Amino acid sequence: MASVTFDHVTKAFGEVIAVNDLSLEIKDKEFLVLVGPSGCGKTTALRCLAGLEDITSGTISIGDRVVNDIAPKDRDIAMVFQSYALYPHMTVYDNMAFGLKLRKVPKAEIDQKVREAAGLLGIEALLNRKPKQLSGGQRQRVAVGRAIVRNPQVFLMDEPLSNLDAKLRVQARTEISRLHKRLETTFIYVTHDQMEAMTMGDRIAVMKDGILQQLDTPQHLYDKPANKFVAGFIGSPAMNFFDVTLVGEDGELAVDSGTFKLRVPPQYRQVLANHAGKEVVMGLRPEDIHDKEFMPPLSFSARLKANVDVTELMGNEVFVYLMSGENSFVARVDPRSRAKAGMEMECVANMENMHIFDKQTEVAIV
Amino acid sequence: MAVRPVAADAGPKPVFKRPSLRERIKSSRTAWLYIAPAALIMLFVTLFPYIYQLFMAFTDYRVRNLRFNLLNPETWARYAPPFVGLDNFVRILTNQLTIENYDFWRLLLFNITWTVANIVFHVALGVLIALVLNSKTVLLRRVYRALFVLPWAMPGYVAALTWRNMYDDRFGAINQLFGVINRLIGTSFPTDTRWFVISEPPIGGLLSFLPLAFYAVLLANIWLGWPFMSVVATGALQSIPKELYEAASIDGASGWQQLRKVTLPLIRPAMVPAIMLGTIWTFNQFSVIYFISQGNPFGRTEILITQAYKLVAEQRLYGVAAAFSIVVFFILLSFTLINNRVTRATEAYDV
Repeated sequence: MASVTFDHVTKAFGEVIAVNDLSLEIKDKEFLVLVGPSGCGKTTALRCLAGLEDITSGTISIGDRVVNDIAPKDRDIAMVFQSYALYPHMTVYDNMAFGLKLRKVPKAEIDQKVREAAGLLGIEALLNRKPKQLSGGQRQRVAVGRAIVRNPQVFLMDEPLSNLDAKLRVQARTEISRLHKRLETTFIYVTHDQMEAMTMGDRIAVMKDGILQQLDTPQHLYDKPANKFVAGFIGSPAMNFFDVTLVGEDGELAVDSGTFKLRVPPQYRQVLANHAGKEVVMGLRPEDIHDKEFMPPLSFSARLKANVDVTELMGNEVFVYLMSGENSFVARVDPRSRAKAGMEMECVANMENMHIFDKQTEVAIV
Repeated sequence: MAVRPVAADAGPKPVFKRPSLRERIKSSRTAWLYIAPAALIMLFVTLFPYIYQLFMAFTDYRVRNLRFNLLNPETWARYAPPFVGLDNFVRILTNQLTIENYDFWRLLLFNITWTVANIVFHVALGVLIALVLNSKTVLLRRVYRALFVLPWAMPGYVAALTWRNMYDDRFGAINQLFGVINRLIGTSFPTDTRWFVISEPPIGGLLSFLPLAFYAVLLANIWLGWPFMSVVATGALQSIPKELYEAASIDGASGWQQLRKVTLPLIRPAMVPAIMLGTIWTFNQFSVIYFISQGNPFGRTEILITQAYKLVAEQRLYGVAAAFSIVVFFILLSFTLINNRVTRATEAYDV
């Protein structure tokens, strides 16, 4: 039970900087998710915390102890690896007991802890099996079990679900969340899957090219992305981006893409006023674009017409891939929509949820 | 669509009739045709000599019986070797052979000691060097890896003869090396050691049956044998995922504990068959003994296979020699069977 602090941590492999000046404060008992595309430095950051990599500069603390020069075994952490890294020559029981045996914990206590963890994860029946005889989901549980028995201050998980099939992944997701609530310990969880991040994290740290982009709660990350990268990374299907010009018209403000012109809601006018006349990037999530015939009540909307390219029926909704001039975008509309490929569709955009990014810096303006 | 539940007794089970032998041969005729050439050659080159040797072992086969020709009935009556039953085996096991310094049980003890000593050194050295070369901090490790297969790539008798010359008491490299050492650091090692003549054992007590020559041939064969174990160990080491070591280091294992609890158990499945092979090779390591020590002094470094060879080369006792190799075969066969049962060598881990 401890907080974790990354203070200006940099990790370089020769010329390549994997983690660049990362500062991050993880609260005690928090479930923090590190998310980003592959190669963004999230796993490296986790490995630095575990002590599997030496950091180039900065300090990492667990609780109030600086752990820069402390061996992995003395950091009081446990890690679940992407490949699970179960010892193939040991039974499930021995895999889970290994760390305790090395720490000279009395046999009876080891037995009690292993059985307790196995009960918690529903793997009591597997204790005498070797990893080879387990399914992927069972191996994943054993890997988690091996981490639990040690009762560490911090749990580190490196993409623990990426080797499971889709259905099992959803199930394991909730199990890990439940485990976190029950154990009341700090969890740091690395994934490339924004869905996992959104559903599991108390807070999410989005990384790209070794740099922390935004650290926030899932809802905030979704509603107020700090930049275009975060906006595009969180949410599925991804946010649509339009190259537009901000134009002032009779005291009002609108975005002009060349093929359509949408009015900006009054609450954004003041912030955007000094960007008038500039080229910016507008972001609109697919769920904020509706079929005109099946639109929900919106307090500030704008209409546009676009050509339907492809439709994908999901059952409870339809993804409509649309083209308007140079811009292609996706709308997530009511399944009753009659949109068909080749026809023109009238859409309504919920402009209250629009985002505007600076074209050069890609930082969010609203 | 509704799924109809399947009743437990869903009709009679289909009956599979085992096809007759004739049908089976007929259906696999093409396959038999394909393997026929290789099978025929194996039959004459490998299987026939084995069977013929088995036959020789129960006869008093000598030089004159070499004229015996299975394909020529005229030779049958005159040259067929006389059947002697188990006589050859009895003579071997009860030391009734007319060769100098012959004692089967001493030979067997020496042969086993020779094998065990070699394998211990081969495996220990092989694994140790593989471990060292597996560490990324060692410079030029590819070069070393290429170099250490050299002893193994060299024809065995060439290496053996080279060692024989190195052990020469007057001109050999080893005695000369002692001379150089003496001159450089002022020690006084003997520089005229007659490696294969001295019969005084260097180590007494339980090991007093081992003359200096044993240690000399042991050294030569260690040099020859460790690269094989090292190659096998290197392969096994490289297949251990590095996450296992990371997990172990987080679990709290020191370097030594990682070696004992992770590395060694995981290279074991590869090492066991290699050790079995190495044991058989070393047990029958003809060229090192025959070319280097020649069994000296007084036959005390003789192993079974070199003794069998001398039975033919010096005494022309073909029948006895055949029986001798069958004895060796059964010793190794029982070793292999016991070993297989004890270690379950075929069981590998799925990493």
